[in-house]
Amino acid sequence: MKSPIFSFIITTLAWGLAPAQDKNEKENTNQANNSSRYEAVVRIENSSLNPDYRSPWNTGRDSGGNGTGWLVGENKFLTNAHVVSNSRIIYIKKVGDAKPYRAKIVHIAHDCDLAMLELEDPSAFEGVTPFDIGKLPQLDTTVKVIGYPIGGERISITSGVVSRIDFLSYSHTSVDLHLTIQIDAAINPGNSGGPVIQNGKVVGVAFQGYSGNIAQNTGYMIPTPVIRRFLKDVEDDNYDHYVDLSMSDFPLINPAQRKALGLANDGIGIMVAAAEKDGSAGGILKTGDVLLAIDGRPVKSNGLINYEGEDVNMNEIVERKFAGDVIKLKIWRQNKSIDAKVTLKRFLPYLIAAKKYDEKPRYIMFSGLVFQPLDRNLMAAHGMKNLQVRYHFDSYVSADIYKDRPEVIVLTSILPDSINSYFSNFKHSIVDEVNGVKVKTLKDVHNALAKDNDDYIIISLLGNGRPIVIERAKVEAAQKRILEKYNVIKDHYLGD
Amino acid sequence: MTKFFILLSAFEISVSLWSEKLEAASVDKSVIRVNTTMQSYNLVQPWEKGASSTRIGLGAILPEGKVLVTAQMVTDATYIELEKPDTAAKTTAQVITVDYEANLALLKPINDNDFLSDRLPFELDTDLSPKDKVEAWQFEASGTPVTTQITVSKAEVRQSFIDTARFLQIQANGPVQYRSGSFTLPVAKNNKLAGLLISYSSKDQISNILPASIIEHFLKDTEDGKYTGFPNLGIMYSQTLDEQFRKYLKLDQENGGVFVSKVIEGASAAAASIKSGDVILSINGKEIDSRGNYNDPVWGKLSFSHLVRGKAFTGDSMKIKILREGQKKEIDLKLIRRPAEDYLIDPYMFDRGPKFSIIGGLVFQELSVPFLKLFGNDWQSRAPIKMLMAHASPEMYEKEGRRKLVILTRTIPTPVTLGYERLSTLIVTKINGVPINDIQDVDKAASMPANGQHRIEFDSYPKLIFLDAVLAGRVNASLKQRIGITKRLK
Repeated sequence: MKSPIFSFIITTLAWGLAPAQDKNEKENTNQANNSSRYEAVVRIENSSLNPDYRSPWNTGRDSGGNGTGWLVGENKFLTNAHVVSNSRIIYIKKVGDAKPYRAKIVHIAHDCDLAMLELEDPSAFEGVTPFDIGKLPQLDTTVKVIGYPIGGERISITSGVVSRIDFLSYSHTSVDLHLTIQIDAAINPGNSGGPVIQNGKVVGVAFQGYSGNIAQNTGYMIPTPVIRRFLKDVEDDNYDHYVDLSMSDFPLINPAQRKALGLANDGIGIMVAAAEKDGSAGGILKTGDVLLAIDGRPVKSNGLINYEGEDVNMNEIVERKFAGDVIKLKIWRQNKSIDAKVTLKRFLPYLIAAKKYDEKPRYIMFSGLVFQPLDRNLMAAHGMKNLQVRYHFDSYVSADIYKDRPEVIVLTSILPDSINSYFSNFKHSIVDEVNGVKVKTLKDVHNALAKDNDDYIIISLLGNGRPIVIERAKVEAAQKRILEKYNVIKDHYLGD
Repeated sequence: MTKFFILLSAFEISVSLWSEKLEAASVDKSVIRVNTTMQSYNLVQPWEKGASSTRIGLGAILPEGKVLVTAQMVTDATYIELEKPDTAAKTTAQVITVDYEANLALLKPINDNDFLSDRLPFELDTDLSPKDKVEAWQFEASGTPVTTQITVSKAEVRQSFIDTARFLQIQANGPVQYRSGSFTLPVAKNNKLAGLLISYSSKDQISNILPASIIEHFLKDTEDGKYTGFPNLGIMYSQTLDEQFRKYLKLDQENGGVFVSKVIEGASAAAASIKSGDVILSINGKEIDSRGNYNDPVWGKLSFSHLVRGKAFTGDSMKIKILREGQKKEIDLKLIRRPAEDYLIDPYMFDRGPKFSIIGGLVFQELSVPFLKLFGNDWQSRAPIKMLMAHASPEMYEKEGRRKLVILTRTIPTPVTLGYERLSTLIVTKINGVPINDIQDVDKAASMPANGQHRIEFDSYPKLIFLDAVLAGRVNASLKQRIGITKRLK
């Protein structure tokens, strides 16, 4: 079953509707000549294996779908990361050619929803001219979307105008925000990864939209600054991800707020609400600081800067930098202007809230108790309502929990057995300590459980004074029994 | 007019029926209609009250012209009326004692002290036991007495009105028809008051009765004119059914015991230095089993909390046998009561308006459970997570010296709050440099702006805002004109 792939905003339906059928492919060959200018636009079929966070020892659920991609260089195809996420096998199909060509991922950047593929045998695309990448299109100029959306088998072209340029959330991970262009050309499931063309050049990659019952004619594309950054990042053959200032800001609209901070009423400056301790700006920016300029560009009170003639989010400066790059900040603190330099880096704790792909779930199954590190995938899979779990998930960054517990380990499920028959109330609790050792990572749990110098294993849980107590002597037999009964192939996976 | 005549004749019949037993309580002479009008405060706009509503229940007449009803009958009451079912004579009454946790209240006529002098007060019968036949007493709308026999089945310690307050309740079986929309009904055994019927499930035909033993406890407490309330132990516990756990705790197999999983600061157990990790084996010689029950001579297994709440008074001493680190120990525990208003987050709030203070359009309130419940039936998953955490673990904030958790509940758009309109449900840490430990602190701090500005700090985004103090004063003045009051500190 293949169905068109699309990344919807505000819907749970991430996978499209109609299964594609291959039987009509041959008819396309007659029109190869007419379609030749679309030769660089390919259909991508992905068979995926989606991990099962509820039974993490299982291989996962087979699924798949199709999207669009385009030739960006010699044997280099660009598409969306979400088209080829959790991928097992990928095939590329050319206009007017029924044959599927086996492809593989060279780079995948989930944080900006882009991926680069190559063919095992590139000969089929010899002589096909890759697309050139254009500039940021102007508002109210016409663009064309090319791809393989639902509604038919053959290539589809829609057109519309550039409606809006904004800094928005990319729903693939749901935690990343980048420059985004809204267009009113129809973008539908299957269009994902396809090129948006203006004057013969690619000006964007179609990637997400709203389902029709929320907003109409509202499609989004990834604009060229984001595409170029990705291409530049992978030049060294390694994707290094986006970097982040790791701070939150608050608009300085209120006159009293401006006055109290000693600012003129000139509309310049945004207040720093907080800077994450372990982030790029940690230790440099403080609550109540005012950011006046970033890399020499004045920051307006709503957080916008002027860039290439457009008002854009001040993060656009950071967006185009790479790990290790330095940016200059002009800070206003206690009525003095300070110049500071910030060396940019990634801030990994944000990822707890990100949808993750291409990762094998890590776990420990011990005496029927399944321990897993907390993240968004886990929250979603187990539908956890436990207050402690929700608090740790919600406040992981804002309450600096990541400093104390790089990983929050949750007892996610219990495989019933005589050794754990009174434990059901403990499900969805956070593990605080195992045998007196504070748990900071899944590995800590593994190591603490492996030691057998006590008669009892004591697992303390956050917010519950009653610990889990397991008799050491009973563990070995129980473990064997549970592995067999519940078909648990391996009792732990701690990562590579 | 016709109706009136029918009512009169019904009255005559009932008199003739019951006149033989003048001394004993009777439906028509010992039960009285209580009509209350209630009006709750609006927690979203705490300067306002919501729409009023009425409740009708039946009170049990007690000696000295007092009337007993459930507390639920008189919550947020603005007007209470006693109505004689036979003559329909009415008088205005007031609450003299109310205990929302026990769900009991005593009423008295405000002016007409002789109003109940032609009535027969109830005596209490606290000796209920299973299989007893008891009667729910009520009236037809006409005033005709109706008695319905139901059979006592069992007793259980359960929640009655306030979520966290569990008391002994009696269950009785048998169909009961509610007449005249009664909310509370006296239950009699041999013409003595055996309890108050507080709820009835028509599906299962089960009545829940607040028994006379709890009523007696409540009345005794009122005798000295100063009501203290039921004591609480102040612990959270878990069962010790798990063999592995018992072995680890060195609990021998014939003993029961409950594991103390949390000790609440300021309550009896903490004062007697009972610690989390102790196992409570017995209370006043009554052994507690591994489920947390003791063996009641009448009702069988009952939660041990009844030994504390139902049987003992605040100030009483109890002998508690515990197991600590494998060693048995006896502890003399003096029962105290940590009053509800001492909790960081008020568990309930009746008969008074929510405390609040407005600065220039920012509305500050003390967090309470009723406020959390504004988030709907599933408030425990929908209310802001930090507030739920504060509710679950108040000690995190109490340690910092907070008496109450003050939150910015909402922001009224005004010229002063420009740019802050979306701020709501934020925990306030400081105002003008003053740590905010209750709503009075907000009021105090509001009088000391620095350089013409109020500096307000929150524990989360956006952390810090400023208000123009002069403008805020002006906005407060105009808000006062519009909404009446801009603060309620008590």
